[in-house]
Amino acid sequence: MTIPGFILRNACRNKRRLILTVLSVAISLFLLTILLTTLKLMIDPPTTDQAALRIVTRHRVSLANVLPEKYQFRIERMPGVQYCSKFTWFGGIYKDEASSNFAQFAVDADNIFRIFPEAVVSPLQEEAFVKEKTACIVGGKLAERFGWKLGDRVVITGALWPCDVELIVRGTYRGEGIDETIVFFHHEYFDELMDRRGLVGTFWIKTTTADVIPGLIDRIDAAFRNTDAETKTETERAFQLGFISMMGNVRLFIGSICTVIVFTMLLVTASTMAMAIRERMREISVLKALGFTGMAIFSLILAESCGLAWAGGFLGCFGVKFLAETMDVYKFSHGFLPMFPVSADILAIGMLVATGLGVISSLVPAYTSIRTSVATGLKELD
Amino acid sequence: MATPIVQIRELTKIFRQGEINVTALDGVTLDIAGGEFLALMGPSGSGKSTLLHIIAGIDRPTAGECLVGGIDVGSLSETELAEWRNSHVGFVFQTFNLIPVLTAFENVELPLLLTNLSGSERLEHVEAALSLVGLADRMNHLPRQLSGGQEQRVAIARALVTDPTLIVADEPTGNLDAHSAQEVLNLLGTLSRDAGKTVIMVTHDPKAAAHARRTVQLEKGEMVRDRAVQY
Repeated sequence: MTIPGFILRNACRNKRRLILTVLSVAISLFLLTILLTTLKLMIDPPTTDQAALRIVTRHRVSLANVLPEKYQFRIERMPGVQYCSKFTWFGGIYKDEASSNFAQFAVDADNIFRIFPEAVVSPLQEEAFVKEKTACIVGGKLAERFGWKLGDRVVITGALWPCDVELIVRGTYRGEGIDETIVFFHHEYFDELMDRRGLVGTFWIKTTTADVIPGLIDRIDAAFRNTDAETKTETERAFQLGFISMMGNVRLFIGSICTVIVFTMLLVTASTMAMAIRERMREISVLKALGFTGMAIFSLILAESCGLAWAGGFLGCFGVKFLAETMDVYKFSHGFLPMFPVSADILAIGMLVATGLGVISSLVPAYTSIRTSVATGLKELD
Repeated sequence: MATPIVQIRELTKIFRQGEINVTALDGVTLDIAGGEFLALMGPSGSGKSTLLHIIAGIDRPTAGECLVGGIDVGSLSETELAEWRNSHVGFVFQTFNLIPVLTAFENVELPLLLTNLSGSERLEHVEAALSLVGLADRMNHLPRQLSGGQEQRVAIARALVTDPTLIVADEPTGNLDAHSAQEVLNLLGTLSRDAGKTVIMVTHDPKAAAHARRTVQLEKGEMVRDRAVQY
């Protein structure tokens, strides 16, 4: 027998309690991992190498304000600009509200996939998309979700704009680590439906190198200063974060839920450990009589408590990772989550929380058992 | 008398119970020789268990001195005391106090986990101890699969396995039937007589005490009788 073997036997002596404790920690950490991953997706969305070369120009006041189409002509001629595309959020409804949780953008068909090369479309499909004004390219996951095939007709009713778009699916895009749930269609078609008013939500620009970005941002905004529609240009990352900040203090909200979960877990684990140790005060006194020091007893209790918490933590944290990698999260979440990457740092945080639980919940029972003298412990027994 | 292994001088122990001080031991002086089998007797509250606990290093005296093998156990720190107990004292309790999730072998092996012995050396020691108490064939049994007498014999093997100077037994036959009690007492007698172990046993039972070579009677914390049995 070894000391770890002894700890394991102690931990497994009450199997029902062991299973319930491990499961309670596992479920709590499962939830915590989901919340932390969701929070990370919101405040630190996944990005690609190509994103470092992209900047976004929008109206200085807010995203709800539009820019004149003619800005594109001036932007495209600025040094450092490789491609520039109009990029207007349509925000329409497909069938019903519940099915409409995907983005639709009116874009420049001829260069949108140069700006987003990580979204891979077959050349034939892209050619078909560019040629036809009412064509659209849809994300692979979205096509799977609605069972869209090439040539299918998709009608999206305008909610923000006073027009409906009738699109023909001419291709699908795929890509590693990108959102595959977007519909891209011709800005020209959108403009036609809007009576050629020349309104653009944002301009997305791909630069030649990352070095030119700071100067280019300044030049673009300076070019439109003191106009009716002043611009704010920022990197793709900054734009995404700004967009998320409009959702309110999500970090505080999710953080509060996480705190409640951790605190509840702490109470459950601490109570279990306290019960387990109180039942074993007799044996702990005997162990001390046999020569186990206070530190050795503390180590036994700590190891058992951490073992339980780690088992739960492993099941909970890695359970989320396993499910995220094996199941279709997009389908399961009804289109709410296009992807769910459980990163190593989230797993590390989960296991750290489990360790903290193990340590904190063992402190009081360990202290009590160390403080109780052997003689007192034995007197209480016999 | 041979050289005393336990030397107790003016030992006093006072417990505080709320506002009241209770004197459990009041100036006890006693020498116990190496290899002696001594029975501590007395009514409940006479201080016999307290005396045993102080000798075994699981309690500290309020005043006086308790030297075991020349070491003043009262002066050792808690950690030193734990290490000292591991190598010098073997405990036998009334309720056996075996760990229920460990087999007889593992229960006996438990004190050896604190030593530097290798796995094979531990195996050798445990097998020897269990053979000595006649339970070599019950090594892999859990405590619940053993009779009371067998459990107590496993406890004695556990007390012996580190080859301690002292074996302290607190009412070792209190939970046993007459036959098992006889076996346990014979075993303790053999350990004293043949293996030269110093055995100190607390008991209420005069029949159990009759197996010891010396009986010390305590009453109200004082030693009232010290009688050697002649064989």
